[in-house]
Amino acid sequence: MIEVQHLTRRYGPTTAVDDVSFRVESGEVLGFLGPNGAGKTTTMRVLTGYMPASDGKAIVAGYDVSEHPLEAKRRTGYLPETPPLYPEMTVRDYLTFVARIKGVPRSERKTRVNAAMDRTRVMDMADRHCAKLSKGYKQRVGLAQALMHNPEVLILDEPTAGLDPKQIIETRKLITELGGDHTIILSTHILPEVSQTCQRIVIINKGRVVAVDTPENLMSRLGGSETLYIQIDASGSDATATLEAIPGITKVAPADVRGSLAGFEVSSEMGHDVRRELAAAVVGRGWGLLELRPLRMSLEEIFLHLTTEDTAAADTPEQTSMGAPPEPATLPEEATHG
Amino acid sequence: MGNTLAIAHKEIKSYFASPVAYVVIGFSAILFGWFFINLLYYFDRASMQAGGGFGGPQTVNVNEMLISPLFMNVSVILLFTLPLITMRTYAEEKRSGTIELLLTSPLTDVQIVIGKFLGCLVLYGAMLAITLVHMGFLFAFGNPEWRPIAAGYLGLILMGGCFLSLGLFISSLTRNQIVAGMVTFAVFLLFWVINWIASFTGPTMQTVLNYLSITEHLNDFARGVIDTSHLVYYVSFIAFSLFLTVRSVDSERWRG
Ligand SMILES: Nc1ncnc2c1ncn2[C@@H]1O[C@H](COP(=O)(O)OP(=O)(O)O)[C@@H](O)[C@H]1O
Ligand SMILES: [Mg+2]
Repeated sequence: MIEVQHLTRRYGPTTAVDDVSFRVESGEVLGFLGPNGAGKTTTMRVLTGYMPASDGKAIVAGYDVSEHPLEAKRRTGYLPETPPLYPEMTVRDYLTFVARIKGVPRSERKTRVNAAMDRTRVMDMADRHCAKLSKGYKQRVGLAQALMHNPEVLILDEPTAGLDPKQIIETRKLITELGGDHTIILSTHILPEVSQTCQRIVIINKGRVVAVDTPENLMSRLGGSETLYIQIDASGSDATATLEAIPGITKVAPADVRGSLAGFEVSSEMGHDVRRELAAAVVGRGWGLLELRPLRMSLEEIFLHLTTEDTAAADTPEQTSMGAPPEPATLPEEATHG
Repeated sequence: MGNTLAIAHKEIKSYFASPVAYVVIGFSAILFGWFFINLLYYFDRASMQAGGGFGGPQTVNVNEMLISPLFMNVSVILLFTLPLITMRTYAEEKRSGTIELLLTSPLTDVQIVIGKFLGCLVLYGAMLAITLVHMGFLFAFGNPEWRPIAAGYLGLILMGGCFLSLGLFISSLTRNQIVAGMVTFAVFLLFWVINWIASFTGPTMQTVLNYLSITEHLNDFARGVIDTSHLVYYVSFIAFSLFLTVRSVDSERWRG
């Protein structure tokens, strides 16, 4: 269990984390989502006892990290943003050293090191120097390090950053397996990442919590529309009216014009795939269809959306989270399948 | 204790996995050998003039004429080699981010600092161990007194401990090991020349500066005298530097 209460952390004049509160229940996997510089790493560093909070408190596995740092650290596994490896050590030596400083009794060290290497699939690199590992292996050895003492709480800072797609899938699977036995916080700046592995998401921007919710609720809050980008060769004629006439389409906004080529952003109702109708209409008019692709919502747009939604809700209390944003927001493609 | 030893063990392993240990030990062995041969030659001539020659009846004291100056010369070797030992201790952990592993493990800052200090001390011990070979020669071909030699080594260990603890502190101030090494060398040099500066100043200032000089306190040890005041100086110097290092690591936490 992790509890963060009104946590604030300042670096001199800059406030990196500003009055953040949230809770992670035992066995839960919580996603910590935010763009670069949002304060994710800073929050995690406070939770792991690496640095003190300027204000507020953090309770990890039942211990206040500033009052009982050693007790909290004994129950926490941490994978920092850059895996903390010693280049001149072999993987096995490194993990044995980690076992030692994490307080694993001498008699269990060998078994625990092997178990951690097994779990993270680094066994074939056991005798290789850490300096000579690929990025993917470094990350996995870092994960093995975090698991070493079988901690109650796992704090993983961008565990899939810099991995290739296959490694990302493997790592997500491992994290999903670990959830249940462990309380996990993982940070990321990629939305699909959290919607697939986490039961709950805390969205943070500029040091402040923007939203705390389940992935499903967040997706629906992000608004009832999907946006496609379409580029056609309509040879002079105005295509807007034709596109707007297609059932299910709520909005057509011109995006760019290059000679006879015209690009549009087409919004449609949530869950209503209009790509077939769109293509048929364009081809039916004898126009050329050059491009048709879903537009993804960037994290910045999500924050803009969630923050404007919150202020709108505050201004007009009767308005619920269904309140339409000023600009229709697009939904990331993966989110609908996640 | 176990945690401290775990850190010390890790430090020693990484010294011997990198060129540092071999450079330090090799360099000091060569320099020490050179001092040794020169002093031996000088001693040989001195004892020849006194009649007898080396190995003959001892009219010239080998401890006073050879071993004592040899110990004093070791401080030159330390000036160059000890910064190499300490420069990476903290700076490199901070640069590579492994400090995050140490500071989020159930260890206290004191355990980490003492562990690192012990690691440095062991490598320095290995460096000194080489010089035992030279001493062995003296015992094989002459009959020096062993007590002053033991006192000399105790002095060297303590003096080295001062330099190492100071170097550890300087390394904790930066994340660049080259900067740490250079600043450490400069500071060592300052402590080393303090008594030379002292000779140009008035009597009060001279006493103060001489007291501050790390190397000045070795004189008595090198002559075979173990004086409590020097012991107190060295031990408190080491304790104070290690304390500063702990403070520095802690304040780094606040700065982030
Ligand atoms: N050691 C530091 N000193 C000063 N400012 C820092 C330090 N670390 C982070 N910051 C600032 O704090 C903010 C949050 O950073 P961080 O927690 O690393 O964000 P994230 O992990 O979400 O990318 C950023 O604006 C960053 O520039
Ligand atoms: Mg970060």
